[in-house]
Amino acid sequence: MQSEYMYQLLTKMIEGDQQAFQTMYEATYRDVYRTVSFLVDHQQDREDVMNEIYMQMWTSLANYDTNRPFHFWLHGLVIRQVQRFRVKNWRRFRIFERIRIFSREDHHWDHPTVMTEGTNQEISQAIQKLTDKQRTVIILRFFHDYTLEEIATLLGIPLGTVKSRYHAALQALRKNLWNLPLERMEKINDY
Amino acid sequence: MTIERKIREHLHKEAETMECPSAISKRIEQSYSQYLQRKRSEITMKKRLIGGIVAAAILIPTAVFAAPSLIEMLTRTPMTTEQVKVDEVGKATLEKLYSAFPETKSFEIIDASHLGGDPTNSTKMKAIQISIVLQEKGGTGKKIRLDTNGITGEIEHVNQENWEPKEKPIISLTDQEIKAKVDYLIDKMYGNIDKYEFSMEQMENPNQKTFMLNYTEKGSKTPFYQVFVQGNTISVSLIGGGPTSSVEGFFSTNGKPDYTADSFLNDEKLFSLLKISPTELKLELAKGKSVVEIAASKNVSKQQVIDVIANTQAEGQIQAEQNGEIPKNNHSKEQMKKALEPKVLQVIEHKTETPW
Repeated sequence: MQSEYMYQLLTKMIEGDQQAFQTMYEATYRDVYRTVSFLVDHQQDREDVMNEIYMQMWTSLANYDTNRPFHFWLHGLVIRQVQRFRVKNWRRFRIFERIRIFSREDHHWDHPTVMTEGTNQEISQAIQKLTDKQRTVIILRFFHDYTLEEIATLLGIPLGTVKSRYHAALQALRKNLWNLPLERMEKINDY
Repeated sequence: MTIERKIREHLHKEAETMECPSAISKRIEQSYSQYLQRKRSEITMKKRLIGGIVAAAILIPTAVFAAPSLIEMLTRTPMTTEQVKVDEVGKATLEKLYSAFPETKSFEIIDASHLGGDPTNSTKMKAIQISIVLQEKGGTGKKIRLDTNGITGEIEHVNQENWEPKEKPIISLTDQEIKAKVDYLIDKMYGNIDKYEFSMEQMENPNQKTFMLNYTEKGSKTPFYQVFVQGNTISVSLIGGGPTSSVEGFFSTNGKPDYTADSFLNDEKLFSLLKISPTELKLELAKGKSVVEIAASKNVSKQQVIDVIANTQAEGQIQAEQNGEIPKNNHSKEQMKKALEPKVLQVIEHKTETPW
């Protein structure tokens, strides 16, 4: 079984087996990098967060739940480090946030919003415009296909909170991309 | 197309275009190497600690205690298969392995590195440790890793992996079977398995079943070999012997161990100059030879021996002054070495069971 094999690799890597580290890195780095890129906007920060994630990997096995698949543990590490980074850079981040809001306004000034179905670039921008909390839920839901319950476990928050963030995020995307009238909070059949 | 599907497709498409810059991979690799170094130095520090405690316990008031100088920041440098084969220590390690387990002759060297020093250039400092990993081509993928002390040539760690079939890993065997396998490995690599007292216990490791096996010399407190068995891996660590080890009582007086010269003779630079391990040196001295005679048999002059020992002792003294452990006397290192010479001479010309 894949997860068992990954767990063995992990223990070997922690014992100091360089070969195991290489194999583990090879198997995970693309997924980790892409997830981090979706959640962290600046290249230098991505590098720092990536490094932190791997450093956690060989210092903590304690929270590994063998009943869950390996990638669940891996994404848990990713999420925790991304969140740590956000808290750490909160001040700086606030400044970016403001810059982003300004540039966004300029952007609206230059290009009137397109009313057709969103192009790729627009989807990207719409996702970027979400709050961090909403964005995290969207990435876990659609890029990693976790159920809302799993996302609640990963983020360590109640299911209700996940649901409301998820709906709020979808609303915002609808609004920005399709310019659809806001729907009431109601069931979405896709989970 | 629903919004959900659209987002999903978009994210996957976008992910395809994201390539992780190699700078990140390099940095993470470096972080891992640093982690390994810390891990290793913890092990050597542990060994040093054991050696240090013993040395401190047998201090004699007149001798200056030579604490091993702290390791400078060490780097692990990869070696090619060719380099391993021409390196003195690497070659000797492989020969030991091949004679212990002839089947390994057909194994491939999949990884090799050295820690500190520069084995490709013998005029520089010697490597502290050389590590070689060999793996069977095909088969069950048997793997063996050896970490050899670059100064004494002793194999400090042996890691045997996948020597049991996958479906019946070593940890799944009975206690007696496990002991037999470990006995066999130690006996093949080091010999004399019968002279150790043995104990085995299961570690409290909730994640993975792990056994610890200790092989202890009679009358000694610290194990000579400590072995961990986990999954399909046996890892043996040599704790006794070794350069910073508890070799004590190089000489004897009236049949009792005599610790007088230990603080002078427990000197890594001396072992490296004489290309001898502390245990071997003790054996030679027990035959009634003096250090000077042993050196002569290896084409090392008396002056070279004096220089090495006096230098270490003087450095230790300077260090102790700086730490405020002994009063400062403001002598230069050269003056100190000169002052130490008669003492050193006494030690290296001494023969066991003769009066000091």
